[in-house]
Amino acid sequence: MSQSRPVAEAENRLVRFNSDRDAILSLVTRRVTDRYVIGAENSPDASLEYVLNDVAYAETQRHERASSASGKRQLSRWRDLAGRLGRLNEVEKRAELERLVEHYARDIVGNFNPRVYRFANDVLPPALSMLFTPVSSFRQGLAALDSMSRRIQVEGELEAVRTACDLGTLVVTPTHSSNMDSIVIGLALKLARLPPVTYGAGKNLFSNPLISYFMHNLGAYRVDRRLKFGLYKDVLKEYSTVLLEHGYHSLFFPGGTRCRSNVIERRLKLGLLGTGLAAFRNGVMAGAAHRRIYVVPTTINYRLVLEAETLVEDYLAETGKSRYIIEDDEFSRVGRIFEFVRKMLVHEGAVVIRFGRPIDPFGNAIDDAGESIDRYGRRIDPSSYLVAAGGQVDADEQREGVYTRRLGEELSAAFRRETVLMSTHLVARAVFDAVVDRTRVSDIYRLLRLPASAVVVDREDVCRRVDHLRQRVAAAPELGRVEDRASGMSAADLLDDALRALTTYHTYPVLETSGDRIKVGAMKLCYYYRNRTAHIGADEGAA
Amino acid sequence: MGDLMGEQPALGIVGAGAFGTALAALVGAAGHDVVLWSAAADVVDEINRERTSHARLPDVRLAERVRATVDPAELAARARFIVLAVSSTEARERARTLGQVVDGRHMLVHAIGALAGPDDARLSQVLDEETPARRIGALAGPALPADLAAGRFAAMVCASPFDEVTREARRLLNLPPTLRLYTSRDLPGVEMSATLSGAYSVAFGMADSLEMGPGPRAVLVTRVVAEAQRVVTAMGGESRTFTGLAGLGNLLVRTAPGTGDHAPGYQFGRALARGGASGERIPDSVRAVGAAVRLARRLHQRAPVLEAIARVIDGQARPSEAAAALSDTVALEE
Repeated sequence: MSQSRPVAEAENRLVRFNSDRDAILSLVTRRVTDRYVIGAENSPDASLEYVLNDVAYAETQRHERASSASGKRQLSRWRDLAGRLGRLNEVEKRAELERLVEHYARDIVGNFNPRVYRFANDVLPPALSMLFTPVSSFRQGLAALDSMSRRIQVEGELEAVRTACDLGTLVVTPTHSSNMDSIVIGLALKLARLPPVTYGAGKNLFSNPLISYFMHNLGAYRVDRRLKFGLYKDVLKEYSTVLLEHGYHSLFFPGGTRCRSNVIERRLKLGLLGTGLAAFRNGVMAGAAHRRIYVVPTTINYRLVLEAETLVEDYLAETGKSRYIIEDDEFSRVGRIFEFVRKMLVHEGAVVIRFGRPIDPFGNAIDDAGESIDRYGRRIDPSSYLVAAGGQVDADEQREGVYTRRLGEELSAAFRRETVLMSTHLVARAVFDAVVDRTRVSDIYRLLRLPASAVVVDREDVCRRVDHLRQRVAAAPELGRVEDRASGMSAADLLDDALRALTTYHTYPVLETSGDRIKVGAMKLCYYYRNRTAHIGADEGAA
Repeated sequence: MGDLMGEQPALGIVGAGAFGTALAALVGAAGHDVVLWSAAADVVDEINRERTSHARLPDVRLAERVRATVDPAELAARARFIVLAVSSTEARERARTLGQVVDGRHMLVHAIGALAGPDDARLSQVLDEETPARRIGALAGPALPADLAAGRFAAMVCASPFDEVTREARRLLNLPPTLRLYTSRDLPGVEMSATLSGAYSVAFGMADSLEMGPGPRAVLVTRVVAEAQRVVTAMGGESRTFTGLAGLGNLLVRTAPGTGDHAPGYQFGRALARGGASGERIPDSVRAVGAAVRLARRLHQRAPVLEAIARVIDGQARPSEAAAALSDTVALEE
């Protein structure tokens, strides 16, 4: 293991950001501008006029509905650009492009103040817990943080991740279920003695001045999801690439947005994920093949998800369309984010963050020394994958796209493998299967319409199914793992544990007991928690 | 691994069977260097000394640029683009040996129209599992070794998700007027189409031996195309790929009169219908029947033609019974 860049130093990488900031900005601006200029020279369809017009058109559309004075000023500026485009010569178009690229790059970077960073890194977590908990003093906030840390369990291949972070730059890629994920992963990194990471947070989070202040200074950059044109996406990707090249550990949620169904994510967004490979390739082309990038598959496993009700509603409405009839809303839809910490405090084993073994940007495993290896454990030189038929290393977008798809497949397999199944997931699955077997209805939209009397199952049957499910998972590591706490319990205790959680956490009991029977109180939530096991196929022998 | 020392890389071929030898002859004659790796020392010797390979492909003369070797390390050192042309039963073992000598720079393309045991894997998956190479593809189509050797018009398709693999395949193998090489990104589609066309050639062997006549034969063609498209799609390929060179192209050439020994599946089917195939060597295309049936079942795809061929091969039905049962099924759907 290299001694040249110990963890302590890695932790400080973000502190040096301010001195790197201008260099990063100008590199991003130059690279993106050059790429577009070369593209325009090679293809009339990519002419600068089209590129600029595309941006002006999208921005005009976006500001057309603006009512504020600044919005109206923006609108007239974009209209002005659209109007001038036809009269600009190539030099002027290039200058205009460069100005736009720099504008978006600055918007993404935001401001970073290292003094605030140091303050934020130490004080923000308690400050956040104060925001989210009904505590009256800073001291109580610290105490809350301490209890919360104990509710967050960090496990997995921590040594391998620490080695990778000593040897190269990390791309932490967690599953995404909750708005709390970025805060939880921040605490988890701290608990695991891993360095903080920079990540792209939705620009909407920056609208609250207090949160915005801290987000910036935690190393978050701003992603404006309203800007859907190619130029903005390219600036964003290049910014992420350059950050990685400069050694800033990064965090992406490859699932894109929060997973609505609670099924372990399979379709991953590859855009930002591919920037790890681009950063490695740039390093190789600059003669620094030793600068490694390591992707860390990470699962955030909540025993209970705060936003479960709204998430599953979204999912059912989206996929069911007319088949999903929204009933009178028995759930409160009031944002209850502030309840998160408080609820976490009363529910034991609230969240498990599991860091998987890092992989290289091509999806290869790595050995204990951080070298890429194939399935037989033979060391591979990852830069060999970038060698073209002519023998030289080059940047080939199509090739890298295929490699990144492969990386996405490896990641989604790792997500399943590293998923920690908790009592709530196992019991919801067992109950759901029992209802399906009993009613012979497997379609969720029909299940939702079943009368209350039809969704009652035997406690004994559920216990038997839970045991069977635990055995199946234990026998097939690729399906995930049962949480240590849950695997040590008898099926009956595990059922009671899940029932306690599922009857009290949500506004409406998900499951209810009545003697030796269990009644489904909220089928959609039962389905939501059950979905964490959806990758485990039907079991013919369980009925 | 040794290096190429600045010279232009050769085309690598694994397997000195009829197809590998014919491809080596064609590419060598076009002025490219070829390294042919074979485990058969006598064949390697004959090629290097006599420039012939009488047992595998009589009447062919190999150019000086073709060098045969028993050493896989020599193949990996001299070639970056390697075509695997061995039978499906030895593919995994060959790939495993290859895995010890190739690295991430190599591009591997197989020309095997079958799936590999024990789990009916596509050959590209086998190459991916057994070697560190990632840039993998498949070569398929109606190019009979005898046609390639004799310089008659033939066409193949090279499929890979990597454009640079198909580009390199075209640079080395597109050799008109003899061989024209088309390209595709649909790797699973091409592999499954090649496998299925071999499997269905057995059915046409049986049908022709039973003298079913042109009408029923035409119906069989349409049912085969529909069924194959379902299986190809279920395997992640594009349905139209089956109607291209790897599927229909392969099938038509392997079921045409006069294809002789180079259509072993068809010949096997003919022999089966005559009741005399039991003692024969099992060709890849017959193994493909069993694999395709297992796959179709696993993917919940109806495949009555494949099921019928499998029943005859397993001795559970006579060819005439299978044909009758198939006609009944055909009547149910269009």
